[in-house]
Amino acid sequence: MSQLNDLKIRIEEKIAADGLDPVATRGKIGLKSGRLLSFINATTPDDPAAIAKMKIAIKEVLNINV
Amino acid sequence: MKWNSIQTKVLAALVACLVLGVGGILALMQYSFARNSQALALDSVSGSQKLFAILENREISKMIAVSDGLIMNVQIRDAFAAKDRPRLLALAAPLYPQLKSEGITNWMFHTPEPDMAVFLRLHNPAKFGDHLNRIMDTEIVRTHAIVTGNELAKAGFAERIIRPVYDSQGKVTGYVEFGEELGQFIHAMKGQTGDDYGLLLSKKFVDRQFWADSSATLKRRDNWNDNPSFVVADKTTAGDDILRFNGDLAAVPDEGTVLERYRNGNSVFIRGIFPIHDVAGRTVGAMFVVRDISAVYLEMRRTQIVLVLVIVVSLLLGMTLVLILLHRLVFKRLHRIIRVATRVVGGDFESAISVTSDDEVGQLEQLFEQFRQVFVDILAQFTVLQEKQ
Repeated sequence: MSQLNDLKIRIEEKIAADGLDPVATRGKIGLKSGRLLSFINATTPDDPAAIAKMKIAIKEVLNINV
Repeated sequence: MKWNSIQTKVLAALVACLVLGVGGILALMQYSFARNSQALALDSVSGSQKLFAILENREISKMIAVSDGLIMNVQIRDAFAAKDRPRLLALAAPLYPQLKSEGITNWMFHTPEPDMAVFLRLHNPAKFGDHLNRIMDTEIVRTHAIVTGNELAKAGFAERIIRPVYDSQGKVTGYVEFGEELGQFIHAMKGQTGDDYGLLLSKKFVDRQFWADSSATLKRRDNWNDNPSFVVADKTTAGDDILRFNGDLAAVPDEGTVLERYRNGNSVFIRGIFPIHDVAGRTVGAMFVVRDISAVYLEMRRTQIVLVLVIVVSLLLGMTLVLILLHRLVFKRLHRIIRVATRVVGGDFESAISVTSDDEVGQLEQLFEQFRQVFVDILAQFTVLQEKQ
């Protein structure tokens, strides 16, 4: 299971739960993390640096710790 | 609002400019106001001095004209030449009340040099034979021409003219003198201007005993001890407030000086002083002047406030205009680019940037839109490749 994909799922859950604009929210996180969320799926290989940047981006945009 | 945004920095710079600009303008206007107020005050003192000079000249002309008429009177001339005091008094006395009503308070005949004694005082006939030894006496003996000027006698300060009287052979038989107390000038000046005045005499030139005697004669309070260096000869106010002065009369500049500007209720006054010289050019007295400058002063203050308000409002409007222009031309369009870029990254590949102008930001919009199209194209090709794999 890809950790990046897990993070992506958490993001989608949060967007749905809070009724956020999905495109704008994904865009902000993508710009901050340097990864396009559209291209993350279950087979995406885990990269510790990419995971760390993604967590920071999630914290900054959605204000949640993952 | 982000503190590190260009918008915030521009706003801070504009506010700083506004504060500095308004502060500078206020300081400049305050400086200008102070200078104008001082000029107004000086002009008030100068105006009083000029009025005093005009009155002096007018009264001198009047006394010369009276003396011209007098020496044409053969009877008076003969009585004086004969040194017949009772006849001279009988001839001149009926004229004195009329002259006095015109302000001529002193009228004297003097014997010729070398004695140069008072032969007859119309204003005090019982007193004669004394020697005054004044500068005017010396001067007329030297020139035998009309001498005019202010001369401080023992008891008072008067503007005087003295001229020679000739007999039918052209020989000087003596001198006739007319004088007007300067104290009465200030009342005439007050009548013309509405300002208040006070006439001071330096104690150095006034005899103490004579001052006490004349105070008793004139039924005025003996004010000799009120001030250490001068006595108040006359004033137009009941109080002594306008007469506060601790300096040296001799040090008062010829053009006069402003002592203070003060408020009394809603009115603004200036108090100044200018020197009065005797015929020898010595500063023997001074005149205080108090002028109400409320009308001009308050108008200047009102203009200053209006100007400051106009400038502040103009600067605020200018600042607002700059901010609105910056927002519309730069910041709003930059925010749109950021919003579109964010949405493209978020997966909305159809969000496009419309190029609104060909200015600098417009060029950035155009460049970014081209970049977005390239980016979307690459993503499409990448997706196709991913699907094939």
